This record gives sequence, structure tokens and C-alpha cells, in this order.
Amino acid sequence: MTKQKSKSMIQRRLIPTYIFLGIVSFISVFPLYWMISAATNTSTDVSRGRLLPGTHFMENFKNLMSQQPLWRALGNSFLYAILTTVLCLLVCSIAGYGFEIYHDKWKDRLFSILLLAMMIPQVATMVPLFQMFSKAKLLNTAVGFMLPIISTPFMIMMFRQNARAFPVDIIEAARIDGLSEVQIFFRMFIPTMKSTYAAAAVITFMNAWNAYLWPKVIMSDNRAMTMPMLIANLITGYKTDYGMLMCGVLFCSIPTMIVFFVLQKQFAEGITGAVK
Amino acid sequence: MKKKMITALLASAMVLSLVACGGGGTDSNGGGDTSSSGSGTSSSSDSNKLTVWAWDQNFNIKAIETAAEQYKKDHPDFELEVVETSSDDCQTKLTTAANAGDYSTLPDIVLMQDNSYQKFLKSYPDAFTDLTDMGINWDDFGKLKQSYSMVDDKHYGVPFDNGAVIACYRTDILKEAGYTIDDLTDITWSEFAKIGKDVHDKTGKYLLTSEGTGGDTMMMMIQSCGANFVNENGDAYIVGNDIAEKCVDIYTELVQNDVVKLVNNWDEYVSTITNGEAAGVVNGNWITATIASTEDQKGQWAITTMPSVDGVDSATHYANNGGSSWYVTANCQNKDLAEDFLKSTFGSSTDFYDAILPQTGAIACYLPAGESDVYNEPNEFFNDQPIYSTIVEYSSHIPEFTKTPYHYEARECINTAVVNIVNGTAKADALQEAQDTLQFKMTE
Repeated sequence: MTKQKSKSMIQRRLIPTYIFLGIVSFISVFPLYWMISAATNTSTDVSRGRLLPGTHFMENFKNLMSQQPLWRALGNSFLYAILTTVLCLLVCSIAGYGFEIYHDKWKDRLFSILLLAMMIPQVATMVPLFQMFSKAKLLNTAVGFMLPIISTPFMIMMFRQNARAFPVDIIEAARIDGLSEVQIFFRMFIPTMKSTYAAAAVITFMNAWNAYLWPKVIMSDNRAMTMPMLIANLITGYKTDYGMLMCGVLFCSIPTMIVFFVLQKQFAEGITGAVK
Repeated sequence: MKKKMITALLASAMVLSLVACGGGGTDSNGGGDTSSSGSGTSSSSDSNKLTVWAWDQNFNIKAIETAAEQYKKDHPDFELEVVETSSDDCQTKLTTAANAGDYSTLPDIVLMQDNSYQKFLKSYPDAFTDLTDMGINWDDFGKLKQSYSMVDDKHYGVPFDNGAVIACYRTDILKEAGYTIDDLTDITWSEFAKIGKDVHDKTGKYLLTSEGTGGDTMMMMIQSCGANFVNENGDAYIVGNDIAEKCVDIYTELVQNDVVKLVNNWDEYVSTITNGEAAGVVNGNWITATIASTEDQKGQWAITTMPSVDGVDSATHYANNGGSSWYVTANCQNKDLAEDFLKSTFGSSTDFYDAILPQTGAIACYLPAGESDVYNEPNEFFNDQPIYSTIVEYSSHIPEFTKTPYHYEARECINTAVVNIVNGTAKADALQEAQDTLQFKMTE
């Protein structure tokens, strides 16, 4: 009897928490719901504020397909985002590992300078970067797209911070067992730090997927169009077709959502710095 | 097991990256090839090809593609590649390329908004080509439209779409309040305010809708008087500018009396039209595309002239808002082809303008086009009015005014001043602040 009573009291005490959480999740999920429902309505209905799903999805989709190279843009975005993620993870984890495991006074100073680079906004470096890339004949190339983003101070810092939790004993044991430094990195470090890699992958993938300004500046070719460029093309006219626009936005958001949901657990672990 | 899977995943991702690197390599070569049509390394093989930056599939892009089709009839080898690039992106890319001193990424022809072009021509004069002697009879375009793409009596652009301002009203709502479209034709803003108040009292609708800080209403008002918020020296001219003060007075009164519905952004603006909250719209004629997309309001709209500013001698019922023109860049390797293409389509062909009108609704600035049958056809959506020829006629009456590279800055400053006045700031203070801010922005 008392047990039941205390249980119901706990439940009652939780009511405000649930109400609060309910409101917060509604606020977070509503834009997603609205995006999906708007993609199924006509432009006029969207602009009139209709919230219920409609029956115009196929029409919006057809309009989108007839106006924009959707599959090519999706393909390009996937190619660039995956390539960037893989290269960025490799480069930054090696750098972060190096800074932490082999650290000395000079490397620490170098690292501080690297962190200072985080403060410089991307816009400020755009013209000099453009000049460099134009001299190196990298304008309009996939390499030009990825090179500036495959190594970022933030990612190096993240790997360095997480490498701190990597037990030095293991490295010493491995050295005694005769593993080379490169082998230690690939065989010991990478498998142990997979949650950090997952978190870094999610962040890098999203950044690369959403990259807009730099790609737009150096790519002047229809065949290089990515999803964010496609979305931008949908809102520039004298007249906006909101249904079609939301249909495009839906296609642009799905891949990042999938990546996030797949790596969700590791992402949370990696961000909080847990090592297993 | 899990560890193995992750390792396998990473390994396969790396393999994929190697394969893709190869792919990326060839891709980049492909990119290099197409860019060379712009940079001219292969101009012998690609001499009949032009690349264009433009935005809006249903409007600008369709228009220039139609032009290319027409041009192909006489020049079968001609090729046109349109790279869809939004107006903002055109500007970013131009700025970056110009600052880096490398124009090789620019296309042959670029579309630019009239209100932003002056800034670019003044900042980067060597990015564009002088077109004065390309063989167009420039007087076939309205004087005001020409002046947007001119510096020191030289022509740099071929005018394209028309930005003549129209007033559109919902005749059904007017009728409910006891008015007709004739009661709103050739009136002044104070008469408009009176009718607007009445309409709002009787129907709850607003006779005008406008964006808060990004709205064009103030700019259209002052430019309809042949004036601007800058003086001939290019300095901010708000304080002590009689016409500017009159416009500010009129507009604040409209806002305070619920005649105009002030909204925060463009999407809300469109929404006031589609959901029937607005009984009237004053904007560039391209707004008809948005209005006409609300099919259940068919036959309920009519167009007429915009109201004029009271008590100003130079006041008219005509102004311009928006519109754009085509420019040939310094990177164009085949200038003769680009000029000939623009001349024989946008610059002289009424057939061309007749062809694009039904497809795009793009109304010409080319005055002879307004006389054709296609332009005089009644439009079902607008109560069978021949709106296209009417708009071309309006565009020939628009007064010239002093232009400024800081159009958008001026718009923001003056709109902020109005919002501040409505919220209780003293008029003199608000205008002084607008004057100072605008002058400061001009030094940036």
C-alpha cells in the first residue's frame, strides 16, 4: 500500500517535468513536421499557413525534378561530404594524436597558434584563399572544394582532448610488444576512440553537406551543383513556390538526419569524451 | 563484433575514398574543361558558346533560353549554357573574383539587379564591357531604365525586365466597402489614406501591405517625385529634405491608422496577399506573378496607377522598383558574339518579347514591344484588363532621379526611421539618426 502510494507520488512529481519536456520536444519537432507537411501542400496553402498534410507531394516533386537536377545535386553532395569526412577524420585524428602523445613545449605553442586560427571568420579568408586556389589552378575542382575544410582547428582540438583519455600504458605495452608508432595509431588508437570518430564524423558530415559559401564561390559549373545550392536556386525568383521549396528542403535534410540517427549513441559518447 | 564492423566500415570508407579520389580527379578535369569556355583557352573550338549567370527558372532563365532558341535559327552552331546563380551569389562571386584579381571564373554574360549594379560598376569598373557602340537604339528603352546601367554616358547593360510600379487592388473588397477601382486611380496618398481607413473599418482588411525594414514602399514614394534620399553629390539627404519628410509623414500616418499592414519579411508579405488580408498592393509589376498564383482570387484583382505624394510639385503616379539588365563581363572572349546575341534578341526583336511574355510574364522595357497584339490581350486574372500594354505605358512616364550605389542601405535606414517614429521616437531624432547611419554606411 505504502509502496503504491510512494510510486504514485513520484509519478505525480514527475508531471511538471513531463509537461516541460513535452513542450520542448514539441518546439523541436514541430519545424520538422511542418517541413514534411508543407512539402505535400500547394504553394498557396503553405503561404496561407495550412498545417495539415496535403495531397500535392507528387506535383511538388515533379516540379522540382523538372526545374532542378535533384539526383545530380544529391550525388554531388554525398560524394563531397563522404570524401571530406573520411579525409578530415584521418588528417585531424593524426594531428590531434600527435599533439597529445608526442607533446613538447613547441608543439603546445604551435597548438595555441592553431587555436587562434579558429577566431578568424571564414569570410575574412575568402579572398586570399580564392587567390591561392586560382594560382594553383584549383578553381572549379573537387579538390578545391574540399581542401580548405579537411583540416579544421576544432576537429584537431576535439581529437587532442579525447586522446588525453587514451591510456599511455597501452602505448608502452604495445611498444614493448614491437608495434611501430604507425601500427599503434591504426591498431590501438582508432578502434579505442570509435565514439570520438563517430562524433567527429557527424559534425564533419553535416558541415560538408551544408557548405555553401565557399563551394559557391569557387564552383562555376552546373555539374558541380550541391543540395544547398539547389535550395538557394529555389528561393531567388520573383515568385516562390513554397511547396516545391519545402520538397527540396526535405530531400536536403533527410541524409543528415539519417547520419545523425545512425551514429546518435556514439555521438553523445564522443561529445562527452567517454572512452570504453 | 561491433569493433570489427566499425573497422570494416572505416576500411571500406577509405577504399571508397581512393576510388572516389580517382573519380574526383576526372571530375575536376571535366570542370576545368567547362571553365575554359569562359577563360578562353579553347575559344577556337568553343567559339560559338556563351555562358550566362542568371537566376529564376521561370523568368530570367526561361527568357534567355528562348532568346538562344531564336538566335539558333540564324546561327545553328550557337550554344548557350546557363549556370543558375542567385542574385546574391552573383554579387559574392563577382566581389571575390574582382578582389582576387582573377576574372577567369566569370561567365560571358551576367544578369544583375538594377538597384545593385551601380555599386559594382563603381567598385570594379574593369569587370564589365562598354556596350555603347554595340548597335542598339538605346532610346527604344525608357530613359530611367537606361540610366540604371549607365555611367558617364556610357552603356554597360542591355535592359531586360520592367520594374514599373503598379497598384493592384481587390475589387471585391473595394466593392464591399463601397468603392470602385476608379476611386483609387490617379489619387494622392492622403486620399488613399482616407479610403484605406474606411476600408479597414468596414471590412477589417488593409489597403496596403508592406515589409518592415526591407520594404520598398518608401523608395517608390520618393522616387515617384523624381527624388531620392541622397543628393547629387552622393551624400545622404534625409534631414532638411522636404520631399523625404513628406513621404515619412504619409507613411507613418498610414501605419498608425491601420491602412498598411507592416510585416516582418517577404514570406509574410506574400502570405498577406494569398490569405486575403491585403486589399491592395503597391509594388513593381513583377508582383503580378505572385498575385496570379492564388487561383481562387481570379477576376478579383485590378491594376491602376500608384498614389502620388501630396504637396510636391514634381509628384507623379509612376515609379520603378526592381528589374534587371544583362551585362557582358571582362572575361568574355567572344565579345562580338555576345553583343550580337543580345542585340538581335533583347535589343531589337519584338517577336522575341512576344514569345517570352506568355511563358514567363516578363514584361519588356523595350518600348516598341508594348504595341504588339500579344501585349494588348486582356488578362483574365485581372478583370480582363490588358495589363501588359498598360504597364509598358506606365514605364514610359517614370521620372528620373539621382541614383546611388547605396540604394539598399538607404532603404534600410529610412524604414528603420519610420518604425522608430511609429514606436514613439520623435520624428526629428529618428530622421537625424537615419541621416547619420546612412552617411556612415557610405564611408564603409
